[in-house]
Amino acid sequence: MRLDYPTNIKIIRVPCTGKVDVMHLLRAIQKGADGVYAVGCLEGNCHYNEGNLRARERVDHVRILLEEIGLEADRVRMYNLSSGEGPTFAAYAKEMTDNIRELGPNPLKKWAKTH
Amino acid sequence: MNINLITNSEVTDVEGDPGNFSVKMVNYPRYIDPVKCTGCGECAIHCPVTAVNQYNKGLDDRRATYIEYAQAVPLAFAIDTETCVGCGLCENMCIAKAITYDDKERETTVKVGSVILSAGSQGYDPSNLDILGYGNYAYVVTSEEFERILSASGPYFGHLMRPLDREEPKSIAWLQCVGSRDTNQCGNGYCSSVCCTYAVKEAMVAKEHAHGGDLDCAIFNMDMRTFGKDYEKYYLRAKDKDGVRFIKARVHTVTEVPESGDIVVHYVDEAGDIKEEIFGMAVLSVGLQITDSSADLAKRLGIELNQYNFVKSNPFSPVVTSRPGIYTCGVLQSPKDIPGAVTEASAAACLAGTELAEARGTDIPTVDIPEEIDVSKEEPRIGVFVCNCGINIGGIVDVTSVQEYAAKLPYVVYADQNLFTCSQDTQDIIKERIIEHKLNRLVVASCSPKTHEQMFMETLEACGINKYLFEMANIRNQDSWIHSKDPDAATEKAKDLVRMSVARAAYLRPLKEKIVPINKQALVIGGGIAGMNAALSLDKQGFDVVLVEKEAQLGGFARKLHHTIEGEDVQANLEKIIEQVEASARISVLTAANIVGFEGFKGNFSTNIEVGPEKELQTVKHGVIIVATGAKEYAPTEFLYQEQDNVITQVELSDRLAEKGAADFNNVVMIQCVGSRNDDNVECSRICCQSAVKNALHIKKLNPDTQVFVLYRDIRTYGLLEDYYTEARKQGVVFIRFNRETPPTVSSASDGALLVTVKDHILQRDIEITSDLVVLSAGVEAEDTEALCGVMKLNRNPEGFFIEAHVKLRPVDMPGDGIFLCGTAHGPKLISETIAQAQAAASRATTFLAKSEIKLSAITAKVDVDTCVKCLTCVRCCPFEVPSFNEEEKVIEINEAICHGCGVCACVCPRQTIQLSYYEDDQIMSKIDSLLVEGM
Amino acid sequence: MIVAERKPFEEIKEMLKGYKKVLSVGCGTCVAVCLTGGEKEVAVLNAELDMARKLEEDPIELGAATIERQCDREYLEVLDEMVKPYEALLSMACGAGIQFLAERYPDKPVLPAVDTTFIGVNQDVGWYEERCRSCSACVLAWTGGICPVTMCAKGLYNGPCGGTDQGKCEISQDQPCAWFEIYGRLAGQDRLDLIKRFYAIVPWKNQKPRTLIQPGYKKPEQAK
Repeated sequence: MRLDYPTNIKIIRVPCTGKVDVMHLLRAIQKGADGVYAVGCLEGNCHYNEGNLRARERVDHVRILLEEIGLEADRVRMYNLSSGEGPTFAAYAKEMTDNIRELGPNPLKKWAKTH
Repeated sequence: MNINLITNSEVTDVEGDPGNFSVKMVNYPRYIDPVKCTGCGECAIHCPVTAVNQYNKGLDDRRATYIEYAQAVPLAFAIDTETCVGCGLCENMCIAKAITYDDKERETTVKVGSVILSAGSQGYDPSNLDILGYGNYAYVVTSEEFERILSASGPYFGHLMRPLDREEPKSIAWLQCVGSRDTNQCGNGYCSSVCCTYAVKEAMVAKEHAHGGDLDCAIFNMDMRTFGKDYEKYYLRAKDKDGVRFIKARVHTVTEVPESGDIVVHYVDEAGDIKEEIFGMAVLSVGLQITDSSADLAKRLGIELNQYNFVKSNPFSPVVTSRPGIYTCGVLQSPKDIPGAVTEASAAACLAGTELAEARGTDIPTVDIPEEIDVSKEEPRIGVFVCNCGINIGGIVDVTSVQEYAAKLPYVVYADQNLFTCSQDTQDIIKERIIEHKLNRLVVASCSPKTHEQMFMETLEACGINKYLFEMANIRNQDSWIHSKDPDAATEKAKDLVRMSVARAAYLRPLKEKIVPINKQALVIGGGIAGMNAALSLDKQGFDVVLVEKEAQLGGFARKLHHTIEGEDVQANLEKIIEQVEASARISVLTAANIVGFEGFKGNFSTNIEVGPEKELQTVKHGVIIVATGAKEYAPTEFLYQEQDNVITQVELSDRLAEKGAADFNNVVMIQCVGSRNDDNVECSRICCQSAVKNALHIKKLNPDTQVFVLYRDIRTYGLLEDYYTEARKQGVVFIRFNRETPPTVSSASDGALLVTVKDHILQRDIEITSDLVVLSAGVEAEDTEALCGVMKLNRNPEGFFIEAHVKLRPVDMPGDGIFLCGTAHGPKLISETIAQAQAAASRATTFLAKSEIKLSAITAKVDVDTCVKCLTCVRCCPFEVPSFNEEEKVIEINEAICHGCGVCACVCPRQTIQLSYYEDDQIMSKIDSLLVEGM
Repeated sequence: MIVAERKPFEEIKEMLKGYKKVLSVGCGTCVAVCLTGGEKEVAVLNAELDMARKLEEDPIELGAATIERQCDREYLEVLDEMVKPYEALLSMACGAGIQFLAERYPDKPVLPAVDTTFIGVNQDVGWYEERCRSCSACVLAWTGGICPVTMCAKGLYNGPCGGTDQGKCEISQDQPCAWFEIYGRLAGQDRLDLIKRFYAIVPWKNQKPRTLIQPGYKKPEQAK
């Protein structure tokens, strides 16, 4: 459908959001990503029954961890949509980008650069 | 692989006999060669001509050079010569040289053994029903148009708006039965079966899409016919939770408020009062209509149709047409929903395949794959191929700079760019480069792995490299297409994506797809109509079957039935089926048999069965399972059933009518929804309305003087059954509607008669009927399969019916591979539907049994048993109950044959000892790290 | 198994204040099973600490090692070389493991990252319930397999107190009365007579650390 969404979003493919680990989300923030979000099937429509529900729990867990650390929970989010919803995907991409812009850059970024 | 798709063509004639047909057709010109077309869409972008987009029901426009929708197969454009001005721009823009202005209409012939006619239907065109205002008022739309309005890929991108002023309506009315159940205006006496449920769906989705959450949705209906599996629950959710209003009325007139364009709906309510209500929009729930061209086609092929142009069929052979060797399925057979159509499609494939069973597999090309080279010990040597995709990528992204960038990345020993990396000649180039540069990893930066991964993997295999040493960077769909306004950023992003893919490629490991042999025998559980038909179908396909029946004799619930509503003799047909089963050399029948043990996986099951009164233990090895355990009639506790002899069920009434007739009945009262649509069983039992109509007609035939009253909530004589409901009313059967909240009561009157009291909604008062007989339309209850499920670990819904893998797309597959489902074990259904489903299950089973071996997916989870602490977290978290503790080896094991590869276990393992192949932690982490290494 | 709970992050951070190089040591048995201190939790904690300290402009270098069990000498051995460059050790084992680690490396500060909570059972993933207080005086034979020490808020040995309320404990309606349960279990087994047994006051032994030597085994010094 070629719907425009911000260029700063890069997609990492997983078979199911159930494969998105707490460590994967943390690592992205640790390495300086301004935000990271998981995009899964609609709740109740997981191809693997419940992977997206587990992903949501993990995202919620990571949000708590970020707050403990002193970072904004909203740098990590979970979105749900069906594969036929291109416009929704683009809308979420924009929403997440706007959200991150409001939060500002990840303060850990400078440490990632010196790595 | 073995499907030859011929689009844009029409069959003109079919000559010959079963097993040897010659199909003549006209291939209409497409003006774009689908083989060369890559679906890039440049032609459409540059086409200057606007045409009405019929796919979106005329609500928006498209170009003259077009593709109907993004998921179309084949993904190839076409030129609409009705509107094309012949400017030649598309030809100039097409790098693939696919435009063929001189394309001509051709006539071709194909030789086939069987034919399936599945020409489908269209939505009824309500233009002629002037009372509904369609075509006159802008905000009266058909349900098909409304579907497109709600669709994210539709004309308004999923925003709920009215077509003209593009404002969101505050209220919407759905008008049911437009073009259905209407012999008066349009001649379609049948019920279209799907409109009630789709109207509920549209209302629910509209509410979701509306802003503010106060969208008023009202569905005007005569009967709500949500009779499919779980549909009643959906209807109740809409009614009770989401506040959709259901109004019992057939709208007689629609007018418009001139200034606002709002729609005035005029109707007569249940009490007979004249009402009108204003809505922002009205949706006409149009029925299913066989098109004239489909009817003409059927007639050309010599296939008999009924008065509504549906294919004539017999309940015991639902997908067989009047012409041998030609089968049918879907709405052309009769109105039905998607699960029914998909089921019938498999059934038709089963029968079509029967005739071809001998020739199975002879026409499939085979590919030789060289022996795999072991590269696991080698340093990664990565080759990167960057695709221009014509100008799809190259027009935005600076491909040369991406190629140069890729060449400098770690482990990359070769980088190249291609005009079309997916073209056949590029595959040959890739193969040469792999050999020349000793590449052991391949990265292609082009489009989506969903469409092209398989092809590149095959290229790797052809070079002796494990196909899992492949990685794809999607720099088209995820980059050039969406960032066309910012080529510099798109180029940078392409580099990021390539860098990530190269990083991951270095961590890829060769994976083995385990090959398991398939046992060619099938186990069918249940010897009723479903199980026997499935067994017979498999027999005809050439496979051995073990048919297990828990009772001492075959036949199941059908033994209690006399005739179908169409008048077919059930017992005679049943006897015929049993004879065929018993005569079959391939079917071994085990009666009085119970399944007591079970193990194995797809292709390799082993089941222990206790047979006969002596409980002799037999072990059966089989490759597939068909579950057909059936259902029974609910034993009522209501309406004095257990106290009075003259309160009986519909099944008992059939017996009574067969034995003693109806001469002694003055009044008979039937009560619907006994044991269905109540608190104990929320679901509709689907078949009871037709049972009541069938028996009412039978009584009227035996004794026209008998008064028959049917007390109902909604009459659900769906599809062609509606004609029988109409006939019953013609013959004087009295139908009285009651509400769930005010059910009828039955008490005993003097001299053994019964007094039935029911509130008549028109009179708004109770009426009393003295009746000789009260007949309860008792619902359908699943057989008790508790013990079987304990042994075989099969999933059932709360009502005790088995759950299919996917309601619409895999209606006869069970969630476990190699296990199929049919008949009333799946949910209440008619004999004709049961037989179609049994044939469908056999067809699905055949797709398994026809192979001698299967390749298992290599993308499965693996446990490192050395560090595993056996905490059982994976065992408890797996959605498919795959990990288990092996009592003998004392380790946690994950059977790769049944692992679905979702990766949940890998993420919950506290010791990080489980890895999902192809998505191992280092493979994912390397992508994250390489993305961020440059401080994004 | 022993169930432990990770300490609040703030507390761990506070403990590590001033240290620049710390090795996080996980334990692969009980605390791994209760999802508190295995490889995964070590990795998560290290990632958190790394980020938190960077945010405070005070980076810390963190190592990670998860061994089979921190309560077994042989398994600790692999750490001998590894610990050398680190200023402190952060243990995610139970209290026993932490102390054994501290005992082995007496010159290194060993800090607890978890609170050892109880001996319990695994009701479901991530859901654990206490069942034993390791009192050294087991009466389960006479109480229908229900421990009055653990399950009774007062640890009563001889029947319920006056606070039993419709089968629940006065401390909470979610907490069954242990003695009500014991009565039910024994009645069901037709062993109600056992409830009449009288138990003298128990000489609690958990005032000094207890030692267990299985029959046939001796302490090394005794063996000599």
